[in-house]
Amino acid sequence: MRIWLWRLGLLLIALTLWEAVASMLNPILYVGPSRLPGALARVLATRDLPPLAGHVWLTMGEIAVAYVLAVAGGLWVGFLLGLRHTVGRIYEPLLATLYAVPSVVWYPSLMLCFGLGPASKIAFGFFLGFFPVTLAVLAGIRQVPATLVTVAVSMGAKPWTVFRKVMLPAMASTMVGGLRTGLALSVVGVLVGELLGARAGLGYVINYAYGLMMTAEYAALVVLVAAAVLLLDGAGALIEARVKRWAG
Amino acid sequence: MGRLRVLAWQTLSVAAIVLAWEVAVRWRVVDPLFVPAPSSIVRVLGVTGAEALPRLGDTLVKTLLGYALAILAGVPTGLVLGSRPTAHAIAMPYVVALYGVPKILVLPWIALVFGIGLSTAVLSAAVFAIFPVVVLVAAGTRDVDPALVTVAASMGASRGQIIRKVLLPAVLPSVLTAMRVALVFALLGTLIAEMLAGTRGMGFQMQRAALAFRAPELFAATAIVSVVSISVVLFLEHLNTRLGRWR
Repeated sequence: MRIWLWRLGLLLIALTLWEAVASMLNPILYVGPSRLPGALARVLATRDLPPLAGHVWLTMGEIAVAYVLAVAGGLWVGFLLGLRHTVGRIYEPLLATLYAVPSVVWYPSLMLCFGLGPASKIAFGFFLGFFPVTLAVLAGIRQVPATLVTVAVSMGAKPWTVFRKVMLPAMASTMVGGLRTGLALSVVGVLVGELLGARAGLGYVINYAYGLMMTAEYAALVVLVAAAVLLLDGAGALIEARVKRWAG
Repeated sequence: MGRLRVLAWQTLSVAAIVLAWEVAVRWRVVDPLFVPAPSSIVRVLGVTGAEALPRLGDTLVKTLLGYALAILAGVPTGLVLGSRPTAHAIAMPYVVALYGVPKILVLPWIALVFGIGLSTAVLSAAVFAIFPVVVLVAAGTRDVDPALVTVAASMGASRGQIIRKVLLPAVLPSVLTAMRVALVFALLGTLIAEMLAGTRGMGFQMQRAALAFRAPELFAATAIVSVVSISVVLFLEHLNTRLGRWR
């Protein structure tokens, strides 16, 4: 309980400092927290900015498609490489090496191939989310104790039963961690794509406000998006904790 | 399967992919306007490679400056948060939350305040790199066995001696990991800043080539940056294993 009060205090101190510093400096560049609610109201009402709801839906749709593709592709490639030991030994290092490249390097090429529309954002969100899912499946399969599988098979368990009762519990917590990282990265991918070049979506609106020097509106949008991302990740954390408890 | 066989298969697979790519472009399965053939990328590399070097240097200098900032600020912060349980409990949720927020959201503002030059890219690199450093170093510091400190203190070691002789050696591995991870993050931050609001460097070059539909040039620049970052990562990993064996 005391800790929560301290955390709240730290937040208040940070906000007060931010407010104090911002009020002393150029209001066009520096926006204090007290101006955010008003700016948010203007974002929703003003006709200078594109209507927000449509862009929010577009961005959420892009994230959803990118993430579903990333999970499907990641699980498929992960199991393909993980269940065949030799294939995994050849291709896992190649995947890990590609993952080590700063991801944004690939975005301009995707933008060139898929255009400025949603396709390039979905492709980039897929690309970013795909790697952590794949690598987590690979790591998870390696954690399955081989003796347990052998015992289950020798006692006559069918492959599906072995998978559900032996492999899945052993790899669940690693895999769920990867799925959560994948979601976070899919979100980042779509947002980065929209900020680097788009004609619609939340990132586009943020860029638009910033381009018109509507700094307060820009800041309000950024705080809003950041809060949404944190909420989404918080939900992911809850699911992860649940699955970890189930897997023991 | 031996290491050499694995390596051979890896080389063969990459070669097969490149060959299939070349054939696909030659047979017009993919449009060379969007995806140029490997051979034309190599040709462009030969022509523009010399021009790319100073751009690459520009990007790397920004990366290293931002990296240095992130390490200088992040390691002490991580040490403090890791060694004081109360401070950790109060402040760590905020650090983790900030780590989770897409950093690109604040880049437009940084560019607005600091302009489109060196400092924006450097700050961006630092912002991208500092959070993993703080989180990794704090976690490593927390994991130091308290018994080590108790034993040293009971044998009459001073606070300074405990820090120098016990804590620093125990924390060193996590600091090294953080330094390894942060370098790629710093490069990422620099490249994004150059793409979003730059006038120089590889990120700017790639973004401009993409918008101008100069696919071979774009793919050549992408190849240069990826090869450089892959080499850096492999080198650091090699260094790490060497260091681990030495310890």
